[in-house]
Parts: sequence; structure tokens; C-alpha cells
Amino acid sequence: MKLLLTGLSHKTAPVHLREKLAIAEGTLPQALQDLQRMGAAEAVVLSTCNRVEFLLSSPDHMEPGPIIDSFLDQWKGSVAPFDGHIYRLEAREAIQHMFRVAASLDSMVVGEPQILGQLKAAYAVAKAEGTVGGLLETVLTKAFNVAKRVRSETGIGQMAVSVSYAAVELARRIFGSLKGQTVLIVGSGKMGELAAKHLHRSGASKILVTNRTHARAEEMAKLFNGKAIEYTRFAQILHEVDIVIASSGAPHYILTREDMQRVIAQRKNRPMFLIDIAVPRNIDPGVNEIDGVFLYDVDDLEGVVNANIKERTKQAEQAEAIVVHEVDAMMQRLKLEQVTPTIISLQEQLEDIRAAEVTRTLRRLQGMTAEQQQRQIEAMMETMTKSIINKIAHGPISELRRNAGQPEGNQAIELIRKVFHLHS
Amino acid sequence: MGESSVLWLRVAAGLYSVGLIDAIITVVRRREGLFRIALAAFGMGALFQLVSIVEQGLAQQQLPVNDIFQTMSFCAWIITVTFLGIYYRYKAASLSVFIFPLVFVMTLVGALRNPVSPWSNPVMRSTLLAVHVVATLLGYAALLFTAAAAVVYLFQERQLKRKQTSGFYRVLPPLGTLDDLISKSLGVGFGFITIGFVLGSIWAFVDMGTRWIGDSSIAIGFLTWGVYLSLVFFRVSAGWRGRKTAILSIVALACCVATWLAHAQLQKRLLQ
Repeated sequence: MKLLLTGLSHKTAPVHLREKLAIAEGTLPQALQDLQRMGAAEAVVLSTCNRVEFLLSSPDHMEPGPIIDSFLDQWKGSVAPFDGHIYRLEAREAIQHMFRVAASLDSMVVGEPQILGQLKAAYAVAKAEGTVGGLLETVLTKAFNVAKRVRSETGIGQMAVSVSYAAVELARRIFGSLKGQTVLIVGSGKMGELAAKHLHRSGASKILVTNRTHARAEEMAKLFNGKAIEYTRFAQILHEVDIVIASSGAPHYILTREDMQRVIAQRKNRPMFLIDIAVPRNIDPGVNEIDGVFLYDVDDLEGVVNANIKERTKQAEQAEAIVVHEVDAMMQRLKLEQVTPTIISLQEQLEDIRAAEVTRTLRRLQGMTAEQQQRQIEAMMETMTKSIINKIAHGPISELRRNAGQPEGNQAIELIRKVFHLHS
Repeated sequence: MGESSVLWLRVAAGLYSVGLIDAIITVVRRREGLFRIALAAFGMGALFQLVSIVEQGLAQQQLPVNDIFQTMSFCAWIITVTFLGIYYRYKAASLSVFIFPLVFVMTLVGALRNPVSPWSNPVMRSTLLAVHVVATLLGYAALLFTAAAAVVYLFQERQLKRKQTSGFYRVLPPLGTLDDLISKSLGVGFGFITIGFVLGSIWAFVDMGTRWIGDSSIAIGFLTWGVYLSLVFFRVSAGWRGRKTAILSIVALACCVATWLAHAQLQKRLLQ
């Protein structure tokens, strides 16, 4: 079986080319059927916003390259626009690429979890269409395992790489579970809304919103089944709040050190997480010096994200080593699968020889008395084993004779010597 | 001290023990336990204690503060009355976490003034001692967890304050988890150490008569329990976290070690 992976990704092609090559979800079954009709033994198509890839297998006598060329000619008019952007990977390289994609090592944001789901969905469509079931099945199933191993053995997917997720990650470091935590959003900035959305999804049950324009606060509160608070009153309820997201357009500090000292005393030092994503800043930076108050502004959150990206890169190195190890194991397995039919037929042939000789010997023994059998048994065993050896050796000896004196004959002779462990 | 005055004092100690249970529940569950019931029991306890003090005063024709036992009892009663007054005026319920256990222990000590006949059953003697040792050691173990969690809390808090969110920070538990661990281990530990302390005092009282109160190793035990009580109080009423909890729990742990060492010496003396 031959294996080919071809396509383009965010690393090799701009978005206008990726969208040109993309296969719409609705037409995916048809594309798979067409690839099979054109000669592919198996086919899987992965089409996402960051990559369009075709994974094909074809019988040994057929090259998979021309199959994909004719498919692209038929579906996309021509391959020409993609020249220089499209990659073609075969055998080991194709498998390695697939493993890397599944493990999110080839993603735009390394470690993001969506790609594995997208690959599983592509596999499910191919499975439903009956275009996967042999080599590709083995490769993809292994790719899913590799992705799982990478996730569990490295911390590649554990660190937030966006500012809003970084806020959630920090909130979890402070409160453990976000269940039952109260969040107050001050202002109506988009980033604040996004952070609140993530916190809400992560379990923060009570969302309060305040804004100079109360109608806007009510509007935003509806998004989270929350409650709008009068802007003039928000300082009075601060002690009930665990997380504050400040993103108002106020040109001065709306929370000072004195305010927070009072609030934290009211809270009996229970920790508070303040996220100031407003520019100019809404919260006095000195607030961070108060025990139990954790203040992060935009730069701090960016710093967390950058540290996480660095950490992910470190983890990715470990993940790459896992992928290489798994590819080696997979190649070994495939090689073994390649020689399996030969091993089976060799075993069958030797068994046929043995069975025929045993039958012949037993037939000869049948007409004899017990005394005759006793006398003849040694000679008959000798004859039977010699016959088995002669039949087994017949093939290699004939080959040796045929190759004697031939220009390429030495190779066959050496091989036979190696097979029969003939050292002298 | 007359028989009946001791009886009233012991009844008062029994009523005050409801306050001790309430304090432990409050620390472990971080919400009001049996406060209403404990407060009522506390009021009744104060009444019984007053009867005991008056009886002793009449018998001695003077204020009954002649020795450490009587002084303890009298002092406990003053604290009780003051607390009830403060509660009536300010509704400062959080003080009860400190006052209830303190008054109970002081009253209990006061009630251990009159020597009783020595152990009639040696099994009872060894069982009580074993329970005292096990409860105390469980209390120490819980305090060890409290101190360890408080130090990790301190470290994690510092990392978060300095915005250092890589490396070691990732393997540390969240502050919320550590805080919960500190509260629970502190409450459970306080319960065990108090049980150990009470049983130890009773055991020493029966075994040694009134001499036990003057033993230095027992005094260290008192001190340790006092530090533990302060830790619990500051934690519950003032919400001490981070550095303060870490320091106080380490001090309490050091006191526990000192008590342990002192008791090892005491054991040697008892065995001689």
C-alpha cells in the first residue's frame, strides 16, 4: 500500500488559497467517493480554516499522486494556483505529519484542542462513506492515541494563550473552583465582556454589571443572566464581589488603594481578583500591595500569555519527541505487516510438506504387523525426515545452482547463506 | 472547696462544652454552628458557676481566689459575664470562637481542685492515657498540615502577586484549595488537641492530685493549646491568611514540638 498526504496549511498558504482549496462540509462525502472512484483505496479529507489536507492510500501498483491531481483538476479546475504552496508527503513523512497535526503541533496556536475534534470529524465522515478501513484506519487511530498521549504527558494544552483565558486561568489559581464566585464588570469594553463570558462558562454563577449608562449595563447583564447595578452604588457592594473586571473609559482611577483596603477588611481578607483591562487604567496599581488583593492589568495578562506561549514551546519539544517515537513504532509495525503474508505462506508451505510426509509414512505403516513396525520404524523415520529436508532445500539449492556464475548471483547466494546461517 | 460547689462548677463546665463544640463546627464548616444553643448553655453555665463561687465565698468567708484553681474559675466567670455583656451590646458573635473554648478549659481546670480517689481500674487509667496521646498526636498531625498548607499558600500568593506564573507556580495548588485545607485541618486539629488536652488534664488530676497544675510540661501544654486557640480565633474572626497564618501556625507547631519533648521527660519521670 502507498500512502500520500497532500494539501496546504496556514504555514504554506495565505487564507485566499486555503479557502479556494477548501472542501465544504456538505460536499465532503461526494469528494471522498470521487477520490475512491479515481483509484484511491482509501481517502480522508481534513478541511478547516487553517488547513486543507487529503490523505490517500493506493494499491502498490498505483501512484496516489496522479489520483489527487485529477481530483483537483475536476474539483478545483487546476492545481496550478496552488503550486509552491501545496505539500506532498509520502509514507513516513505523511504519518509523522498526521501525528503532528492530531497532537496540535502544527496548529497556528500550538496545543489548541479543536484540531483533534476536526480530525475525528473528518475520520467519521470517511468511515461513514466507507473510504477508510485499512492503512488509513491504522494511521488515524494511532494519530488519535498519539494526541491523547501528548496531552496527558506534556502540559501543551494546559496554559492559556489568550488574554481572556489567562484571566480565567488566574482566577482558578486564586479561587480553585469558580463555582459560586461573583463577578462584577465595570464598563462595557469588548475585552471585559469576553473575559466575563469565559468566567461565566467556567462556573462563575453570579455576574453583576455596572456602567455609567445604566441601559448599557442592563443590556450586558442580560447576556449572562446577570444583574445591572447603578454605577453610583457599585463601590458599596464590592465586598460581595470576588472578581472585578474593569474596562470603563474613565480617565482616572475608579478604585483606589483606600477603597480596596476598606473592601478587603469587610471581606475578612478573603482574596479578590481585579482585572484591569482599561486604558487608561481604572484601578490604582498600589492596590496590588494589599494582602489578599491580586491586580492584573493588560500588560500583566499579556505577560502571562507570553510566559504560557514560551512554556508551550518547551512542552512542544517533548511532544515532538513523543511523535518521533510513535512514528518509529508505527513504521516498524507497518513493515511487519508488509512481510506478514510471506511469513504465512512460508509457514503454510512447510506445513504442507510435513503433513504430506507424515501421511505417506503412516500409510506405509498401516499394512505392517506390530513387530514389523518395530523393526522398520527407525528406517522409516530416516526416510521421512530426509524427504522433508530435501523438499525444503529444493528451492534454495535450485536458486543457488541457477545463480552460480551469474553477474548478480552473489547477492542471492549471500542471502541464502544468511537465511540458513551458513558461516563457513 | 465544698462538694456541692464542685458539682455546680462541673455542671457549668459541661454546659460550656457546648460552646466548645460550636467553636469547632464554626471553624471546620466556616459557618455558624450551634451558636444559639451554645449561647443559652453559656448563660446557664455562668449561672451555675456563680452559685459555685458564692458557695465557696460563703464557706471561706472571703473572695474565693486562694489558689490557681479558684482563680481560674473566677477569671473564667468574669470572662463569661463580660462576653455576654459585649454580645448583648455589640452582637459580636465571632468572639465566641475564642471565648467559648477558653472559658470551658479554665472552668474545667477550676473544677479539678479537689483530689479524688486514685484509679480503681488500671485499664481505665491506661485507656484514658492512650486516648489522650492519640487525640493529641492527631491534633499535631493536623497542625502540621495546616502549617505546610499555610507556607505553600504564602509562596503561591507571592508568585501571584509578583505575576510570576511559570515554573514552580503551576504545580502548587490554587489558593482557594489551600485555604480550605487550612480551615479544615485547623478545625479538626483544634478539636483533637482540645480533646487530648481535656483528657490529659483529667488523667493528671486523678493520677497526681492537685500537683499536676504546677508541672512545667503541663504548663507548656496549656501554652500550646492557647496558641492554637489564638490561631483559630484570628483565622475565623479576623480572616487571617497568608503570612500571618503561616507564622502563627509555625509558632503553634513549635509549641507542639516543645510540649512533646516536655512530655517525653514527664513520661520518664512517671516511669521512674
